[in-house]
Amino acid sequence: MACVYIPVQNSEEEVRVSLDQLPRDATDILDILKAEQAPLDLWLIIAREYFKQGKVEQFRQILEEGSSPEIDEYYADVRYERIAILNALGAYYSHLGKIETKREKEEYFIKATQYYNKASRIDMHESSTWVGKGQLLLAKGDLDQASAAFRIVLDGDREHVPALLGQACVQFSRGKYLESLELYKRALQVNPECPAAVRLGIGMCRYKLGQHEKAKQAFRRVLQLDPENVEALVALGILDLQINEAGGIRRGMEKMQRAFEFYPYCATSLNYLANHFFFTGQHFLVEQLTETALAVTNHGPTRAHSYYNLARSYHSKGDFEKAGLYYMASVKEIEKPKEFVLPYYGLAQVQLHLGDLRSSLSNYEKVLEVAPENCETLKAVGHIFVQLGQTEKAFEYLKKATKFHPRDHEAFIDLGELLISTDAVAALDAFKTARSLLKKGHEEIPIDLLNNIGVLHFEREEYELAEEAFKEALGDGVWRMLIDTDKNGQQSDPINEALYKPLDASASVEKYRDTQLFNQLEEAGISVELPWIKISTLFNLGLLLEHLHKTESASILYRLILFKYPEYVDAYLRLAAIAKAQNNFPLSIKLVRDALKVDEKCSNALLMLGDLELKNDDWVKAKETFKAANDATDGKDSYATLCLGNWNYFAAVRFDKRNAKLEATHLEKAKELYTKVLVQHPSNLYAANGAGVVLAEKGHYDVAKELLTQVQEAASGSIFVQMPGVWINLAHIHFAQGDFALAIKMYQNCLRRFFYNTDSNVLLYLARTHYEAEQWQDCKRTLLRAIHLAPSNYTLRFDAGVTLQKFSASTLQKTKRTVEEVRATVAELTNAVRLFSQLSAASNLHIHGFDEKKIETHVGYCKHLLEAAKVHLDAAEREDQKIKERQELARQVTLAEENRRKAEEQKKLQLERRKQEEELKQMKQQEEHLERMKEQWKHTSASKRKDRTHAEDENGGRGEKRRRKGEKKRKREKKSRYETEEAGDMDDQEEVEDEYVNRNYKQADNAVNDDGDEFEENPQDVLAAAGLEDSDAEADTVENPSATNRKRRAWSESEDDEPIMRQPESSPIRENSAEMQVSDGD
Amino acid sequence: MKLAWLRSQDGAHDDSLWTTTWVPATDDSPALLLTGSLDETVKLWNPEDLSLIRTNTGHCLGVISVAAHPSGKIAASASIDSFVRVFDVESNNTIATLEAAPSEVWQLQFNPQGTVLAVAGGGSASVKLWNTAEWKLVGTLSIPRPEGVKHSEKSGTKKFVLSVAWSPDGRQLACGSMDGTISVFDVARAKFLHHLEGHSMPVRSLVFSPVDSRVLISASDDGHVNMYDVEGKTLFVSMSGHSSWVLSVDVSPDGAAIATGSSDKTVRLWDPKMRAAVQSMTNHTDQVWGVMFRPPGGTGVRTVQLASVSDDKSISLYEYS
Repeated sequence: MACVYIPVQNSEEEVRVSLDQLPRDATDILDILKAEQAPLDLWLIIAREYFKQGKVEQFRQILEEGSSPEIDEYYADVRYERIAILNALGAYYSHLGKIETKREKEEYFIKATQYYNKASRIDMHESSTWVGKGQLLLAKGDLDQASAAFRIVLDGDREHVPALLGQACVQFSRGKYLESLELYKRALQVNPECPAAVRLGIGMCRYKLGQHEKAKQAFRRVLQLDPENVEALVALGILDLQINEAGGIRRGMEKMQRAFEFYPYCATSLNYLANHFFFTGQHFLVEQLTETALAVTNHGPTRAHSYYNLARSYHSKGDFEKAGLYYMASVKEIEKPKEFVLPYYGLAQVQLHLGDLRSSLSNYEKVLEVAPENCETLKAVGHIFVQLGQTEKAFEYLKKATKFHPRDHEAFIDLGELLISTDAVAALDAFKTARSLLKKGHEEIPIDLLNNIGVLHFEREEYELAEEAFKEALGDGVWRMLIDTDKNGQQSDPINEALYKPLDASASVEKYRDTQLFNQLEEAGISVELPWIKISTLFNLGLLLEHLHKTESASILYRLILFKYPEYVDAYLRLAAIAKAQNNFPLSIKLVRDALKVDEKCSNALLMLGDLELKNDDWVKAKETFKAANDATDGKDSYATLCLGNWNYFAAVRFDKRNAKLEATHLEKAKELYTKVLVQHPSNLYAANGAGVVLAEKGHYDVAKELLTQVQEAASGSIFVQMPGVWINLAHIHFAQGDFALAIKMYQNCLRRFFYNTDSNVLLYLARTHYEAEQWQDCKRTLLRAIHLAPSNYTLRFDAGVTLQKFSASTLQKTKRTVEEVRATVAELTNAVRLFSQLSAASNLHIHGFDEKKIETHVGYCKHLLEAAKVHLDAAEREDQKIKERQELARQVTLAEENRRKAEEQKKLQLERRKQEEELKQMKQQEEHLERMKEQWKHTSASKRKDRTHAEDENGGRGEKRRRKGEKKRKREKKSRYETEEAGDMDDQEEVEDEYVNRNYKQADNAVNDDGDEFEENPQDVLAAAGLEDSDAEADTVENPSATNRKRRAWSESEDDEPIMRQPESSPIRENSAEMQVSDGD
Repeated sequence: MKLAWLRSQDGAHDDSLWTTTWVPATDDSPALLLTGSLDETVKLWNPEDLSLIRTNTGHCLGVISVAAHPSGKIAASASIDSFVRVFDVESNNTIATLEAAPSEVWQLQFNPQGTVLAVAGGGSASVKLWNTAEWKLVGTLSIPRPEGVKHSEKSGTKKFVLSVAWSPDGRQLACGSMDGTISVFDVARAKFLHHLEGHSMPVRSLVFSPVDSRVLISASDDGHVNMYDVEGKTLFVSMSGHSSWVLSVDVSPDGAAIATGSSDKTVRLWDPKMRAAVQSMTNHTDQVWGVMFRPPGGTGVRTVQLASVSDDKSISLYEYS
């Protein structure tokens, strides 16, 4: 047993102090030491012994006593021991400062510094003091000064082991592992017997340098020297774990366990064990271990690790609150995210889960600072930006994710989903990349991905690719058999049988509600299954087929959906839309009602019902339905608002003549509703279109034109937006502004682009424009086309008759006309007469709305014209004959003269040249004179001509007047016809604007009537010249007392072939009574 | 089953071509092609090179229908002014002029026996039958008005008869109306039999299968081609694919294929067994108003031809095989 002997002063005796039996109270020993003035090295030995026994307090007491001023004084010449004591204290406090994390840390360091400084004062050059100072500085993290301190020692003694180790430590901390390794090696060379810790340092350096095998050797050597060296065990364990294979992990964990057994308070091994148990799912152990680890260490990074383990454990258990707290604690322990980034990631995940997007984002960003290419993080950040609505940033991050990880299909899917609404092409590319990645990896491709690819192809009008994608998404199933007609052709399986089962004639009317097909298939033993995840895709495929006009296949798919999922409202609505497109309104209404049975507040179904009711001319009901739809969506559904707006617009143009106030109210209401939609959705084309129409209705043509042009441009971009109405509306405005050529072009483009030239209404608008532009032949052809398309529309025939008559009349009034022209006129007139008499003979007058009398007047007038024409024809032919004779004579004369002239010409030529100049002057004067004369004539000649023609054509004038009345009547008839059109023409969202076609026509018509001033002048004259001016003012006065109105009426009536009238069907009685008045007046 | 384009004649008429028919081969002449147009003329063409044989004038307003007698000797044409002109194909001599009330003439069709010319009676909601021997009106097949429905404006125009078709045995006649209904008549007894339902939009063309009198095929503005079992009163196939109105339909002489012309500018060939179009010809640039298979017979013709006429003023010929 070791013991020390304290020599008794002034004696040979010694006090024997057994080191393992040091008194509890250090004062006893101190008393002896002081009393006997024991050498200071004894003090140090005893203090060290106390320290070894863990009696820190006693250790400190002795040393502090040993460094007190009295001792200094007494042992003034004993320098080395005093320094040693001070250094011991300095080291002690450095250590305290190092392990302490709280406020005292600084105090300890200050104390340590004081002791070292004191030691230095005793001897500046004592190397152990410098080493101590170096350690202190190292503990404080002041690497440069620490290094300087160690260097001072090493400059004096290159082989000073403690200084070498200190310097090695500095270099290690600086990350200069190679230098550090050299220093450790030198220390080992100097002192091959040095403690295992040196080899530990070598191992660490090797490890850091990536020389794992050599590191292992070093650690193993440590363990040979010190089998219970926990650090070496842990380090080896980590190395084993890093091999990352079952055996390695097992060996690693065994080592960790051994380390734990040797020393259960090594936080690192605890953390690793916890980590292990986290992965084995023993959360209880995780908590225990990490709590112990937390209790035993103040080392920040280790604690961070412990907290992280704990947090992770809670995270995986789904306790996000606690997980968040521990992640937060972990993060707090970390100075720089670079040291340990995982808790930031965990925290971000938890915050994202808890909806704290901003905090989550900032934590993810910290992760990215450390690992800028981390795919999961990039995706998560992208996802957060999507949720925050910052799509550009989201795009940036997802793009990065795909760039750094071109094999990560999820990143591509995320990117695609982000781009879907902004950049379909890029989105499609992303999705396709994801698909091919999945295919390469032989992984199952999610339905959603294929569905998205299909939809994007669909949008880009790549229908075949779209169909492929949808079909791939759907895989095999009963749907496949039902729509793949190619395969079915040859075989006679139950599916074919079911598909070919003839429908009874009466059932065929309701074919889109039939589900017998599927029952029959089930009876035939074919399973009719439809997994719910495939519904959307199946529905999309239906839409695609519908778009490709494979209506029947589409309807089978919709019905299949409904067979299995009768609450899928959209399928009912599509079927209803199909039925509606085929004019099968009863079936369509039934289907919509089916949809409403599922959800009576379904606004789409209600709106469709409203449309259908409008088609059935059920105005009041339609309005109620629209209102219900609007209420069902709290007025948030812009389509519902739009429908109400449209309804009001219709109402305005429908009731206007009955009540101007009502019209204004309805228009105002319509405008208000359109504006409301536009405020909510500034890019709503339909609302903009409606607003444009209202503007035009109010006469603001230029503004309306600008607005509609914008709508037209916007609508040209997408295949899903079909707005022929905008084209028509614009054409109407051009028409109203007198720009016939442009109007004609627009109507024609519209017909081609949207209607496959099948819309007789647009043809009618076109005909009317030709009429106004006095292009009679074009007008006639256009009307004939319209008749060919809609042969049961008698009004078209009437219009054709009027056109023929008008054409003939205008030709006959021409002052210059050829024989051919007159002949053509006669032919046309014959046609007109026949047309009118046919119409008059069609006795179903009440059905067609013609008044026999009116037609008769037309017939009469035409016959009269015909007679006149025949005279004209004879005259023209005679004239023609004469002209021909005269021409012949003239030709001979000229021939004879030719020769003579030629001889004289030469002579004349010279003379003429001189003359010419003079003549030119004279001519000019004459011309000017003539102009002046003309000016004067103008005022008189018009009236003269008028008189003349009146006299000449008095009869015709009368006829004309009557004819005009006929038109008036016809006009009314047309009104009703149009009314029905109008009421009918509302459709799906895509087609909602159709009705503007009609309503706008009115507006155009309106323009001609109201805006007529500029038009009036000229046509009036033309009319006058043509002898068509109304000579009988009486009748007109009855109709329109005002003189200006009379003029206007004369224009609008005689000229109008206007296909659209402002009067709705609802007012025929009134109209007729007005008509009666006219007749009376006549 | 396919169509191969043979030749086209652009600018065949000055304006839209609205109707076409094959004039069957006679002892002296091969089958010829007859077309009618908005330009008020009827033209006769040699199918070999689509050269013009003759231009018939005399119609006012557009020519809406042409029909050829099974003998190939006479033909008839009708125009919007409700005149039907019957003429000798070879000489173009007018044989008869049949006049009707306005809007009471639309499509024409001779019965397979050649004894009767059926004229779709438009607004009269009936089909008029003219005896081809004396050109006298011998019968009127009227579509019965549904009971209880008020005699209103709408029903009047709805029943406008557009199209007419004879069964191969000549016993039955079907006509199609603006409202989409198809009416079937027993000609001998002049009796209305029943309606065939399934369309709600104008039926502009009808044809019986040449190999099965029970099978009637209809073309409608709803874009569908329907096949009916006339006797069973059932609809057994409804085919979609055209993106606009189906204006004209014909069945191949072997009864295996259906050809249609549509406003969507295409001519399509359908396989009723597959319930789908097998081919789509896109050579026309505007609505295709008429398609017709060349009737079998005549010398030197082994293949079956199909003719189509269009608003684009052209005629096209295809080979069907």
